[in-house]
Amino acid sequence: MSSTKFERGQVNRIRLHVLPTKRFKTFAISLYAGIPLEEKQVTATALLPFVLRRGTSRTPETIALRERLDNLYGAGFGFDVFKRGNNQFIQFRMDVINDAFVKTDESLLAASLRYMGEVVTEPALENGHFLTKYVQAESETLRKRLESIINDKIRYAAERCVEVMCEGDPYRLHALGNRADLPGITAESLYERYHQWMNEAVFDLYVAGDTTFEEVRSLVEESFKLPSGDTGAYKAASVRAEAGELKTVVEKMEVKQGKLNLGLRTGIAYADDDYPALLVYNGVLGAYPHSKLFLNVREKASLAYYASSRLDGHKGMMTIQSGIEIDKYEKAVAIIREQLADIEAGQISELEIDQTKAMLLNHVREMQDSAYEMIGYDFNAVFSGSTRSGEALIEQVKGVTIDDIVRVAKGIQLDTIYFLRDRKEA
Amino acid sequence: MAVETLSYPGVQETLYREVMPSGLEVFVLPKEGFQKTYATFSTKYGSVDNRFGVEGHPLVRVPDGIAHFLEHKMFEEPTGDIFATFSKQGASANAYTSFDRTVYLFSATEQIPANLETLIDFVQHPYFTDENVNKEKGIIEQEIQMYQDNPDWRVYFGLFDAMYHSHPIHIDIAGTVESIYQIDKETLYRCYETFYHPTNMILFVVGGVDAKEVFELVRNNQARKSFPSQGRIIRSFDPEPSSVKESRWVLNLPVSLPKCMFGLKETKVGFAGEALQKREAITRIMLDIVFGASSPLYQSLYDEGLISDSFSHEYNASPEYAFSVIGGETKDPDALLGKVREAVDKLLVSGISEEAFERSRRKKIGGYLRMLNSPEAIAGEFTRYRFRGGDLFSQLQHYEQVTLGEVNERLREHFDWNQLAVSIVESKAEQSS
Repeated sequence: MSSTKFERGQVNRIRLHVLPTKRFKTFAISLYAGIPLEEKQVTATALLPFVLRRGTSRTPETIALRERLDNLYGAGFGFDVFKRGNNQFIQFRMDVINDAFVKTDESLLAASLRYMGEVVTEPALENGHFLTKYVQAESETLRKRLESIINDKIRYAAERCVEVMCEGDPYRLHALGNRADLPGITAESLYERYHQWMNEAVFDLYVAGDTTFEEVRSLVEESFKLPSGDTGAYKAASVRAEAGELKTVVEKMEVKQGKLNLGLRTGIAYADDDYPALLVYNGVLGAYPHSKLFLNVREKASLAYYASSRLDGHKGMMTIQSGIEIDKYEKAVAIIREQLADIEAGQISELEIDQTKAMLLNHVREMQDSAYEMIGYDFNAVFSGSTRSGEALIEQVKGVTIDDIVRVAKGIQLDTIYFLRDRKEA
Repeated sequence: MAVETLSYPGVQETLYREVMPSGLEVFVLPKEGFQKTYATFSTKYGSVDNRFGVEGHPLVRVPDGIAHFLEHKMFEEPTGDIFATFSKQGASANAYTSFDRTVYLFSATEQIPANLETLIDFVQHPYFTDENVNKEKGIIEQEIQMYQDNPDWRVYFGLFDAMYHSHPIHIDIAGTVESIYQIDKETLYRCYETFYHPTNMILFVVGGVDAKEVFELVRNNQARKSFPSQGRIIRSFDPEPSSVKESRWVLNLPVSLPKCMFGLKETKVGFAGEALQKREAITRIMLDIVFGASSPLYQSLYDEGLISDSFSHEYNASPEYAFSVIGGETKDPDALLGKVREAVDKLLVSGISEEAFERSRRKKIGGYLRMLNSPEAIAGEFTRYRFRGGDLFSQLQHYEQVTLGEVNERLREHFDWNQLAVSIVESKAEQSS
């Protein structure tokens, strides 16, 4: 593995992580800001990046602000709102080319950090709050975004499954919030929430590219006007192991294909010692084309085009998803449950374990070729309080035995079955 | 044949090329410091190639979706599923079929020679039986149904359907449930033998590799096999009328807001190689100036609530077809189209400004360079250009050489409103006239 390491420090409330490397033609910048996921604030927090991207105090008009990006050789700028563990995250990303490739007067890294710093910490204001026209327009945008969740049936079914599974837990909330909250949000109230967020969220800023820690630190000092004070810290989510009584939900909609989603509790968190064994479990079960789900649901029974499993280590959850012919519901559920039972009974071949380990190791090594993947992996460790480096993960995965997988399997409980089907009568 | 070295100092890349005696063209792009190797083995054969023959033999018409079906079936070997072999060797493998090519690929950090051999060997070894062909039909049927439920997919391909009368680009890549049930192993072999001949294929390897070692491996691999010589492949298309088939195509699906994609079908086609590439560069800059996120039109449509962040634009061009695809979700497709026409008509009179042109050109240059960070994008785009006689690595020059005059001329040429087609997906209740 390569020896590139993040160099770390602090600038006001920001924890700064810099990866000096000459491997890429670009600089990658990523800011994670996380705050506890709460029903009362989730929508306002989600709305913040939509409004912030519209204008800064120096460039209040949106067209002019976007022209600045074009002039930075079409720097990529984007944001994302998501939930992880017990937190709601806003992530801002920038991707700009290294000046070495073009003739330019200003440093593209400096100009990009200034851009992101302005967007996050120096928004356009009127009368001491956000611009009303931006708050109104972006509320509409967010409303449409929330309403459009239903368009993608695969994603909709996956989110509904998690919602059913997490009843009574803030994690049931959608990261983008609730439509019903939007009419109550004003330019003034949103600006209040912004202040709170600036003072309470945990900020981790990552920069990867051909630069030094010192250069980035001084640029961030100039460009990110955050309050001074404690950086704050993340609290790990509790990982519940007991599933309780199995919940089954069937929903009807105009679909040609049934979307089957299962939610399971693993009792194992990202930072736990058993997490590498859980990764192997998930690989044997459904993460790859050699996995039991792909082979048995798709290749042997021809029931589906996709059938896979996915881990959420920060909540100790696992989900299984498959698109099936509607009248094959019972058959598909039976085959899936059979795979879970088989692993628990130790019916796993050496080949399945070798294949899974080889795929996991390859994935960890490939991360080195993408700045954003390296950043993402490092942030997961920082966020979850894990000290497991990529190298350590490789060693731990190599050491996983069939007994480890069976032990992990015995702790996994099916919590929810969700099925989205057509409107015809069964 | 000797290894050819192609240097591109402007983008700091060096590419190596060798044509094997079998006719297979091999490219290697070493990327210093990269852990992974990404390889694609591609045939110039896609969903549009549904009537063809080899020089001197009669043409055949094959069922829709067969190129994609063939791609699925290639993964099966007498020894089982080839995914299992790749997994054991720590490689993640995949494949995709587009209108004009089928691409098999893997990405791995270890056992590169073994993985390269596996990739070349499985693609050069078809194994179809009545049983395994029939088994695949249920899987592909579910893949088709999955896309049938996806409104973004439907509105996008609906536009192709609206534009083209006879060119097979209007046919779904995966075919239909009916057409795939007509596929049998004999037809699969026939397609395979025609299009998977080494003379119709490209192997592209990018990442932390040594070019010499790769060429040697491929040379030895190909020397172990024999390929019958094959005449030129003839692809036959019915003449395509210049008009659009339907100016408005509407489909009902449950959606939160209507989805509307529109575009202009170009009548002047037949460009290939560098000429096609240059035309693409000019058109992409032109469309970005008109519809990009920093354009006045985009912002005014956004302010009026007629578009959302999903609004996008692209240009698709091959020697046989060329058209734009513009749009996204909108509360009112007709109002959106009206505003777009009004703004474009004004621009046709005033012309594009030097400032807007320079800004967009810069943006395209930056986007192109950023793309070169991604081995996946390089391999995919390189092959796409190569099959059309172009060169991905000369694209920077094309962007640098475009002039404002050419962009304005392209603007006037492209926006012939008689060539407009519109595709709409909306819920039943919202259906407009």
